[in-house]
Amino acid sequence: MDNVYTPDLMEVTAVRRQTPDVKAVSLRFLDPERARKFSFRVGQFGIFSAFGYGESTFNICSSSNWNDHIEFCFRKVGRVTEALWKIEEKDVIGFRGPYGNGYPVEAWKGHDLIFLGGGIAMPPIRCAVWYALENRADYGDIHVVYGARTVADLVFVDELDEWAKRDRVRVIRCVDPGGETADWKGEIDFVPYVFERALIKSKDPVVLVIGPPIMIKNTLPILDKMGVKPSSVYTSIENRMKCGIGKCGRCNVGSLYVCKEGPVLTMEQLRGLPADY
Amino acid sequence: MSETSTFEPKIVAYVCNWCTYLGADLAGTTRLEYPPNVRIVRLPCTGRIDFNLIVKAFEIGADAVLVSGCHPGDCHYTAGNYHARRRWILFRELLDTLGFDLRRIHFTWISAAEGRKWQQVVTNITEETRALGPYTDLYAAGTFKDVPSPVNNRNGLRSFAAQNDLREHCRKLLAENAVKVVIGYGVSGPIVVTKPEDADRLVWNNHCYANLTAYLKRKEIKALGKPAIVVKPCDEKSLVVLEKESQLERQDIYAVGMACEGVGEPKCATCQARTPRFADVSLGQPAGPEPPPSPSPNRFATLMAMPPAQRMAFWTSEFERCVKCYACRQVCPMCYCERCIVDRNRPIEIDPAPSTKGNFAWQIARAFHLAGRCIGCGECSRACPAGIDLALLNVSLHIAAQKNFVFEAGIDPKADEVIGSYALQDKEDFIR
Amino acid sequence: MSESISQAGLRTLAAEWLAAGKTVAGPVRIKPGLVQYRALRSGDDLLFEGVQRPSNSIKEFLFPKAEKLYGYRVQGNSIELIESDTQERVETILIAARPCDAAALPILDHVFNWDFKDEMYNRRRAATTVVTLACSTHDESCFCTSVGLGPASERGSDAMLFDLGGGRCEVRCLTDKGRALFSGKTEKSDQIGNVPPGPEKKFDSKKIRTFVTDHFEDPFWQEHSLTCMGCGTCAFTCPTCHCFDILDAGPAAGNARVRSWDSCQFATFTVHASGHNPRSAQHARQRQRILHKFAIYPEKFGDILCTGCGNCTRNCPIGLGVLSVAIEIDHG
Repeated sequence: MDNVYTPDLMEVTAVRRQTPDVKAVSLRFLDPERARKFSFRVGQFGIFSAFGYGESTFNICSSSNWNDHIEFCFRKVGRVTEALWKIEEKDVIGFRGPYGNGYPVEAWKGHDLIFLGGGIAMPPIRCAVWYALENRADYGDIHVVYGARTVADLVFVDELDEWAKRDRVRVIRCVDPGGETADWKGEIDFVPYVFERALIKSKDPVVLVIGPPIMIKNTLPILDKMGVKPSSVYTSIENRMKCGIGKCGRCNVGSLYVCKEGPVLTMEQLRGLPADY
Repeated sequence: MSETSTFEPKIVAYVCNWCTYLGADLAGTTRLEYPPNVRIVRLPCTGRIDFNLIVKAFEIGADAVLVSGCHPGDCHYTAGNYHARRRWILFRELLDTLGFDLRRIHFTWISAAEGRKWQQVVTNITEETRALGPYTDLYAAGTFKDVPSPVNNRNGLRSFAAQNDLREHCRKLLAENAVKVVIGYGVSGPIVVTKPEDADRLVWNNHCYANLTAYLKRKEIKALGKPAIVVKPCDEKSLVVLEKESQLERQDIYAVGMACEGVGEPKCATCQARTPRFADVSLGQPAGPEPPPSPSPNRFATLMAMPPAQRMAFWTSEFERCVKCYACRQVCPMCYCERCIVDRNRPIEIDPAPSTKGNFAWQIARAFHLAGRCIGCGECSRACPAGIDLALLNVSLHIAAQKNFVFEAGIDPKADEVIGSYALQDKEDFIR
Repeated sequence: MSESISQAGLRTLAAEWLAAGKTVAGPVRIKPGLVQYRALRSGDDLLFEGVQRPSNSIKEFLFPKAEKLYGYRVQGNSIELIESDTQERVETILIAARPCDAAALPILDHVFNWDFKDEMYNRRRAATTVVTLACSTHDESCFCTSVGLGPASERGSDAMLFDLGGGRCEVRCLTDKGRALFSGKTEKSDQIGNVPPGPEKKFDSKKIRTFVTDHFEDPFWQEHSLTCMGCGTCAFTCPTCHCFDILDAGPAAGNARVRSWDSCQFATFTVHASGHNPRSAQHARQRQRILHKFAIYPEKFGDILCTGCGNCTRNCPIGLGVLSVAIEIDHG
């Protein structure tokens, strides 16, 4: 029987610790046939399981162009992530997916891309950045403004360095006031204000902003002033999930099921949703 | 059993670190032989042993459970074993009611010097359990004698005389801002009234079933400000328990006590309290003198007259209908934990699924968490959409508290609570 | 001219089906005051009269309260997934279901097949035949007529029984499944069964949909939900509520991933791992239930996620339920 709830078995090929409580994990399909047939749209998510502990939902933070493995990134906060924290190379976990709508990368073609992220929101941005870099000719200038509470909370730091070396890519790093170290060379302020001061000049950019609600709230007026249309501003929202396929009745915000019609939304869509998230 | 039976009982022993564990260790170092059937689980103190651990041992296949700790007076933490003993007295009664085979549950005091006693206890228990055979009755379905169902008397609607007094009194309370909200009964169930002119929505009749004190724990109600709460004399007992457990300050609520003529619930047949005792105001007249206890069919006696295996079959058939809706928990005034044990997942202590195991675990947890606290309002039974005989389960611990500690919840605000206190003379006849 | 059968005949049929290894379920008196749908042990268990409707619904025969999705065995780095034994679906016959139960099945079909096909549900659905008993009475909690149904609604039924009096029922076979059950088992009769029209319409469901979408922040929700205790009784006794939870059960070394009923009224239904809860107040949860049933489901699938059976109101410990909200919205 084709059971839509049955996960694929994945072997862990790498575990990279990003911060004291965040790890990035690379997985490959144990079943070669499944590996061959698998593909996803960048920005989709998966439901990863630690057998005996449960399932948890994370964005697939690898580019959809990488076809030998997928990656996810998680913070240790609860029962399942505590179990996932213990995994090492060669361990086997479960994966269901890809679910969700992913980024409309076709519609983004020809535009400058501005990525604004806070803290653990970098992984869903990271996959989009790599995708854009791998399809470089399709996109214009790329700007990344990424901040976290403290220096130790920044993730994928080595990749930020990599991106900054690329053609027409600008990366600005920041930490919250008080989060800097003595040798910190980046900005010290909250992401929205660092972004404002960056004075990015772009005619009709696509903006992907992901982060805590307060960060998004403070970023929107700045985007308004820049003249960016709400339909060009994207975000990826999250909600508690169980089935990931629209049946368990849990993740909806108004009539939008985050697992089916999300998690990627435009600001225009987000504003049309009831305050239920 | 054939002579060549190869049944090896699996016995789980929960032992305290400071006495019994060392006693077991002593047995080892002095080369005293004893059967290898015991799996030892070491805890700091018998006081730490959750009743749930005993149930879990059986769930995962134990044929017998031993719980052992320091002798009274010798506890490393002074009083841990006294608390444990108090709990065991009640928990045994609950397990007995449920039809667990009490011959498979053992309690002992074994000190660090009593290696020989450890040897003897383990040897005896192993042989006793071998003779009993594997524990196959756990949660087993089977035949049982019918326990008569509780009888209610839901007649047509009849208003009580004090209804107008109630409305007027509450209208005044709201108009004078003495309270911000009145929690009372409306035509189809409980209502919350905040405006004086809405006091006419309040009713007082023979359909006023709910125990409204359950609303005092709801954060949405608390946010409204000082409440007046309409209480029947049976419900009023909740206030005593809640105040004792520091869940409310008596002066922060206004209790509108209603002398009650009965609402046709099973509890009404043996009601001894027709007039409120602790309310801020008492409205209405009781219908007549307090009724003598009427000889209603003693359902609990019928249950306990069955052999344990049949009792367990009865409860298996009752709990089989449980869907884990938690109506029993939500309507109970005494279930006020912000995060219930079933909602906790590190670790998952109570299996949350509505399986046989999960349902027993939940019902046992809920009943035992109410030991000495349940006032018998019967709301859990009334609320259960599957008609599970929860009242029968709660009454077993009510009787146990009365029998063992001369205690009844909600009567005397000064009496020490049953769980959480202990007495040096708590009985020990079941402890080896 | 009609086909008819006696109640005794139905009991005999039920016994035959049981003997053939099928599951037969219908209203059973469990104890005084409690009638539930339950698998019969014998044809005598079947209850035809004396109750408006059972206090549970037939959804549990297609969507059980707890169900093993699959098992798993963990040994070191090796994980073995063990498929659930839902391959062989035992044929199930539901007798004397109510129209408000039968109609729930085609409504539930939408969500269980929304892009991803839930084969556990679909297989059970395919293996189930629903014989509905048309309602000749209704009580004050019934409101099937307010959601487009009625006491003789055929939706979801494979065959319908109409009480003819004198212990006989007319049998109307509506589908091949129904005909397969009853062909050759009924007698001709010159009586045609009919039932009274049912409860008068109590509210306009379109008004509910408009109100909950356009007045999402209205203080009405707070006021109306103050007495809700946040249990799962309404959801679990409802024929159409289908929200569920997925949990790993058993020791970490191996057991099963289980799905079980869940209720949007529980406080922790939407709580995030971060601790944030989009619906931390009861009124938000009550509003979600109405939104889901009267706005979201119709928007996505064209059906109201409610059949007006009244179970929520009858079973609610404090007398709430969809009906009370709907009446207040439409007439309050």
